[in-house]
Amino acid sequence: MRHVVLFLALALIVPALTGCGYNTIQKNDEAVIAAWGDVEAAYQRRADLIPNLVETVKAYAAHEKDTLMAVTEARAKVGQLNLGSDTLNNPEAMANFQAAQGSMSSALSKLMVVVEKYPDLKANQNFRDLQHQLEGTENRINVARVRYNKTVQVFNTSIRTFPNNLTNNFLLNLPRREPFKAEEGAQHAPKVKF
Amino acid sequence: MQLFSTPRRASAGPPLSGAAMQAGGIALLALLLITLTVLPVSARTIPAFKGYVNDYADMISGPVEAKLDQTLKSFEQSDSTQVAVLTVDSLEGDPLEDFSIRVAEKWGVGQKGKDNGVLLLVAKKERKVRLEVGYGLEGVLTDLLAGRIIDDVITPRFKSDQFDQGVEAGVEAVIQATRGEFKADPSSSQRGGRREESPLVSYLFFSIFFISFLGSKVSRKVGVVAGAIILPVIFLLASSPGWLLLLVLIPIGALVGLLLSFIDFFSGGSGGSSSSGGGYSGFSSSGSDSFSGGGGGSFGGGGASGDW
Repeated sequence: MRHVVLFLALALIVPALTGCGYNTIQKNDEAVIAAWGDVEAAYQRRADLIPNLVETVKAYAAHEKDTLMAVTEARAKVGQLNLGSDTLNNPEAMANFQAAQGSMSSALSKLMVVVEKYPDLKANQNFRDLQHQLEGTENRINVARVRYNKTVQVFNTSIRTFPNNLTNNFLLNLPRREPFKAEEGAQHAPKVKF
Repeated sequence: MQLFSTPRRASAGPPLSGAAMQAGGIALLALLLITLTVLPVSARTIPAFKGYVNDYADMISGPVEAKLDQTLKSFEQSDSTQVAVLTVDSLEGDPLEDFSIRVAEKWGVGQKGKDNGVLLLVAKKERKVRLEVGYGLEGVLTDLLAGRIIDDVITPRFKSDQFDQGVEAGVEAVIQATRGEFKADPSSSQRGGRREESPLVSYLFFSIFFISFLGSKVSRKVGVVAGAIILPVIFLLASSPGWLLLLVLIPIGALVGLLLSFIDFFSGGSGGSSSSGGGYSGFSSSGSDSFSGGGGGSFGGGGASGDW
C-alpha cells in the first residue's frame, strides 16, 4: 500500500511542478545555452574566414604588415578561447571572450580601412567574395547577440519573478546570466562599405 | 466619438448633463492624442504582407509583377521554398539588415522546420538591395553566392534603371540556386493552421497509462481512486474550473479509472499512439492568420547586401 501512496503522491507532484515554474526555468535555461551556441558559431565562422582574408590582402598589400599582423594575432587569441557553455557560467571567461572578440573586430575594421587604398584588391573577385562572407558573418554575429540577449532577459525574468524565484532559490540555484554589452569600439565594427 | 453624440444613445444611458458628456469626450480625445504621441517611432513599421511580390515603392510594372507572382507560386508548389519580394520607398533610418530580418521573421517566409525562405528587399531612396536567406538555404544560397547575385545580376540592371529586369533576373538566379534543395510536402497544402501541443496532452497520456497501470497491476480500487484524483487535477491545470465542477469530476474520474483498470496496456499489446505535427499553409492558401502569409521559416542573418 505504501508504494501506491508514493505513486499517487508522484502523480500529484509532477503536474504541480509546472505551477512553480520549475519547467519554465529549465526551458529558459536551455534556450540561453542554445542561443549562446549560436553566438559562438557565428564568431567561429568569422575566425574561419580570417586566414583566407589575410592571404588575399597580403597578395596585394604586402607592406601593410602591421595591420595584417594585428589581425593574425587577434585571430590567434580568439583561437585560444575555451568554448562551450562553461563560458556562460564563468564571468571571467565571458569577459575574456568578449575582450578577445572585441579586439578581433577592431583589428578587422582597421584592415578594412587600409584596404581602401588598393583599388586592384577591391576589384579582385576573391576579395569581393570574402567581403560578402565577412559582411554576412558580422550580420550573423549581430543577430545571434541580439537573440542571446533576448533569451537572457527571458531567463533572468523567469528566475526573479514569483513564485519561480522560490523554486530557483530552494531547488535550482541558477545564477543570473549576463547579457552582451555594447563592445568597446563596436561602432566601428567592420562595416565593409565601398 | 459619434456614438456619444447620438440622441438614442444619450437617452438610453444614465442621465448625464451635456457639459459632463462634452468633458468626457474631451478627455477621451486627449487620451487618444497622448497615446498617439507616445507610440514608439524608433523602428520602421513592417509593411503588411500582400503576396509573393510586395511592390510598395512601385518599382515593378504590373505585367512583370503578375509573372513573378506566377513563377514564385509554382516554385513553392514544386519545391516548397518561398521567395518573397519587397520594395519600400525608404528604410526611414533603420539599418538595412535590421529591417530586412525583422520583415522576414514577421512574415515567416519559408516553411517552418525547413526554414527555406528568401526575401529580396529593395530600398528605393537608400538605393540598397538585400537578399535575406533562411537557415535552411544557407548551404546552397551562401552569403558568397547571394553577394554575387546582387553584384553581378541585380545592381548592374538597377544602375541603368531597369528595375523590372533586375528583380526578375535576381529572382530567377535565386530560384536556380535553391531549386531541388527542398521538395514540397504533398499533403502540406491540405493542412492548415499551426498547432502546438500543450504539455497537458502529455500529462493526459501519462495519466491514462498510469491509472491503467495502477488499476490492472495493483488493484482496481487504487485505479478508481487514482482516476478520481487525477481527472480533477488535470482540469485544474487546464483551466480554473469552479469547485462544483471539480466535485462532479471526481465521480467521473473514478468511473474513468474503473474503465481504464480493465484495459491492461502492459501485457503484450502495444498501446503506442502517434500524433502528427501540424502542417503549415503556404502563401497561396487563404489561412485564417492573414497577417503572415509565410509558413514560419526562421532566419539567422544569412544573405548579402549591396547598393546601386
